[in-house]
Amino acid sequence: MERLIEILEEIQPGVDYRHCQDLVDGHHLESLSILALVAELEDAFDILIPTVEIIPRNFNSAQALWEMIQRLQEEG
Amino acid sequence: MFSIATYFSVQYLVVLLPAAFGLYAVLPQKGRRWVLLGASYAFFWAVSGKLLVYLLFSTLSIHHLGLWMGRLQAGRDQALAAAPKEERKALRARWQRRLTGVVAFGVVLHLGILLTVKYTPFFATNLNHLFQALGLGWQVRIPAFLLPIGISFYTLQGVAYCFDVYRGKIPADGNLLRLALFMSFFPQIMEGPICRYGDTAQRLWEAPPVAWENFLFGAQRILWGMMKKMVVADRLNLFIRQVFWNYAEYDGLVIALAAVAYTLQLYMDFSGTMDLALGSGQLFGVTLPENFRRPFFSRTIGEFWRRWHITLGTWFKDYVFYPVSLARPMKRLTTWGRKHLGPHYGPLLAGSVALFCVWLGNGLWHGAGWHYIFFGMYHFFWILLENLTEPVTLRWARRFHVNREALPYRIFQMVRTGILVCVGELFFRADGLRAGLAMFSKMLTQFSLATVKDGTIFTLGMDKRDCLVVALVVLVMLVVGVLQERGHGIRQNLARRSLAAQFAAGYALILSIVILGAYGVGYAPVDPIYAQF
Amino acid sequence: MTKGKRALALLAFFGGLLGILLGLSALFQPKNNMSEFGMEEVSANGILGERRDSVDLLVLGDSEAYSSVSPMELWRDRGYTGYVCGTSSQTLDYTLELLTRALEDQRPRVVLLETNAIYRLVPAQKLVFTPLASRLSVFRYHDRWKSLGWNDLLGETRFTWTDDWKGYRYYATVSGTAPGDYMLPTDAQEEIPLRNRHLVEEIARRCQEAGAAFALFSAPSPVNWSTPRHNGIQALAQEMGWDYLDLNLLPDQVPIDWSRDTRDKGDHLNHAGAVKVTAYLGDWLADNASLPDHRGDINYARWDDALKKYEGVVQSG
Repeated sequence: MERLIEILEEIQPGVDYRHCQDLVDGHHLESLSILALVAELEDAFDILIPTVEIIPRNFNSAQALWEMIQRLQEEG
Repeated sequence: MFSIATYFSVQYLVVLLPAAFGLYAVLPQKGRRWVLLGASYAFFWAVSGKLLVYLLFSTLSIHHLGLWMGRLQAGRDQALAAAPKEERKALRARWQRRLTGVVAFGVVLHLGILLTVKYTPFFATNLNHLFQALGLGWQVRIPAFLLPIGISFYTLQGVAYCFDVYRGKIPADGNLLRLALFMSFFPQIMEGPICRYGDTAQRLWEAPPVAWENFLFGAQRILWGMMKKMVVADRLNLFIRQVFWNYAEYDGLVIALAAVAYTLQLYMDFSGTMDLALGSGQLFGVTLPENFRRPFFSRTIGEFWRRWHITLGTWFKDYVFYPVSLARPMKRLTTWGRKHLGPHYGPLLAGSVALFCVWLGNGLWHGAGWHYIFFGMYHFFWILLENLTEPVTLRWARRFHVNREALPYRIFQMVRTGILVCVGELFFRADGLRAGLAMFSKMLTQFSLATVKDGTIFTLGMDKRDCLVVALVVLVMLVVGVLQERGHGIRQNLARRSLAAQFAAGYALILSIVILGAYGVGYAPVDPIYAQF
Repeated sequence: MTKGKRALALLAFFGGLLGILLGLSALFQPKNNMSEFGMEEVSANGILGERRDSVDLLVLGDSEAYSSVSPMELWRDRGYTGYVCGTSSQTLDYTLELLTRALEDQRPRVVLLETNAIYRLVPAQKLVFTPLASRLSVFRYHDRWKSLGWNDLLGETRFTWTDDWKGYRYYATVSGTAPGDYMLPTDAQEEIPLRNRHLVEEIARRCQEAGAAFALFSAPSPVNWSTPRHNGIQALAQEMGWDYLDLNLLPDQVPIDWSRDTRDKGDHLNHAGAVKVTAYLGDWLADNASLPDHRGDINYARWDDALKKYEGVVQSG
């Protein structure tokens, strides 16, 4: 989780990632940031994020992102 | 014969919609869904007649493709469960290939139909130009297709459904009627909004009972849309037609005003139609997705497109932008870019390629013509530029202590965005790319205030009173827009007021349409602009 | 709110709306039948300014009607008082509207409907809009918000203007054609759109109620008329028991010379053609309807004034 927050801070600073619940719907994360995020997450956590996972529900909060990462890691 | 050309017609507003609503109100749930389906097919028939077969074919084939993929997914899951762990990866890949084959077939089929009926004349014409340029004596015959209404809209809905089933986002629907209703729902089939199966299909099928608040809010929204369309869009038509048809006779200022007027008209026409569509949906208790969110408050072109024709934008984002930019080679490009170009410019590489695809598609979706492609590329250019210069602007703003959140700076950005949009719409409306370029160059080179000084500006279709009416409505909409930006629900607020206030608001709206509407002798209402796309 | 209260509120809302619209209709109604007062189609609506019960013959129809019948000819030769309520591209909903307006003050003995309008499909919008606008005139005259004055608020409605041409439109220009025999015999019948048929029947019913004989006539026009159309109208007239005169089939009685009697290559007649058609209609009226001869009646002196002006223009043209 800490690692995830670090990545988010690096990609788009100035957002309170621990509490923000509308990263996508509130336009804090734009599509280009999401591209960077996906590439970075895949590297950092050794997962493959399929396009079907790129939905606001998975990207709206750090918690949701973290849950997605864990799920994808388990599926391998 | 009962035929319909637009939602703003007696046939729709006085006959079809009230009849459907009346039946819907008195029937039990099972009957209600049939009312919606029946009204939808009656509407399609009234607009396009026998071309209904296109819709039927699309519905049946998409239903079938969905079920096919559903069976493959079930087969895959069974096989995976039975297989030992080490074989699963290969097994999964094998099933995945088949699934991909099905979805590719479906998408090619349906986009193929769309491309054929919409773009064949365009491609044939350009092929002939090419042959001519090459000095070859060949000529292809240019076939003409009759376009069934809404094909650009329901095809996108169907393709999205296929992708969503393929990705496992939604299960395939075995209920043909539910899918048929989702594909054909009459308030939105002609001009959108483009709905997602996951958002509206089930709600439509449930056909909720009528509710007082839905009725009230739906009716208010319909009237609001009628006001935008009939008072402003149709009135502006007088001036716009005059200038765009005879642009050679006018100077830069007149053309600039016409570009602004056209942008306003497009907004009033399209968002007014959306109010009517969403209002109609609300009568039946169905919430259709919003297509506009006060686009003229946008600070950048990118933001503009997140507020204007939203459902088309999100469609392109979900089914073009991400699939392209997250394809494996693109991901590698992004990773490489981040290492070598830094966190901002890194993802921009893959992003631009995907954006290019989006805007090429967006331009072409609007119509077969070079000026539509130009329109798409124009917006692609500005969005790309915004992304490229973002870090530079940030640095400059910091150095010169410009507060980017201060009101004057925000207004500056909104005005700048507005101007860029108007120029884009000038090309969009102009009769071909050449006319667009000629008009644009006149705007820069032949600018003069003469027509305002001698008053001839008021002889080009709209007199002073017409302009006053338009200005008044724009002012009202500005106030409403600011309130909405601050999170106020206008209709919700009104509902809390006294009955007298609610009556007054209703009368004001209806009478402004009756008296100030540009209908009857002397007016030619603008054709539904987005129904052609 | 309870259900009952909601129903009551809706009722009150629409009741109030109706009241407001009625008030606005009184305000927006043109206070005179001249175009300066906001009246539409003034030559057809000039009949509203004619003296009460003074018009004995009413001619309805589109441009074929106002191009082929000249009431002043009938006045000069026979002393009949006729008026043409013709408008360009008239559709039957507006024909009915004009008839209704005319019958408020006039008791014509004969009403003639030119048949070209019967084949012009009435747009579905107008089926609803025209009856609505005739009861709530704010819908028809709403654009007058631009020119409302105190007179609209306080003054009464008084239609004073009359057309010296009595609805006829004078064209002396010649643009001839050689149509050949455009009325070749055939059994084919062009179908009359259902909604149009209902409107014609309604028009006939109103005439009957007002004590006027109703008849159809087809003005000569190779561009607009044909045997299948004739057959369609003939069948309708026969079924309903109306008289029907097709002047396209009477080359001896109405000898139109297509090289000289048309102003636009056979679409419409010019004045020379109209004189021939009117002369024949005069004969027919003399034989089939007993219209009074008002010549010499002091009450009709204005028709003589109009005739002087008419002759002045027609003879110099």
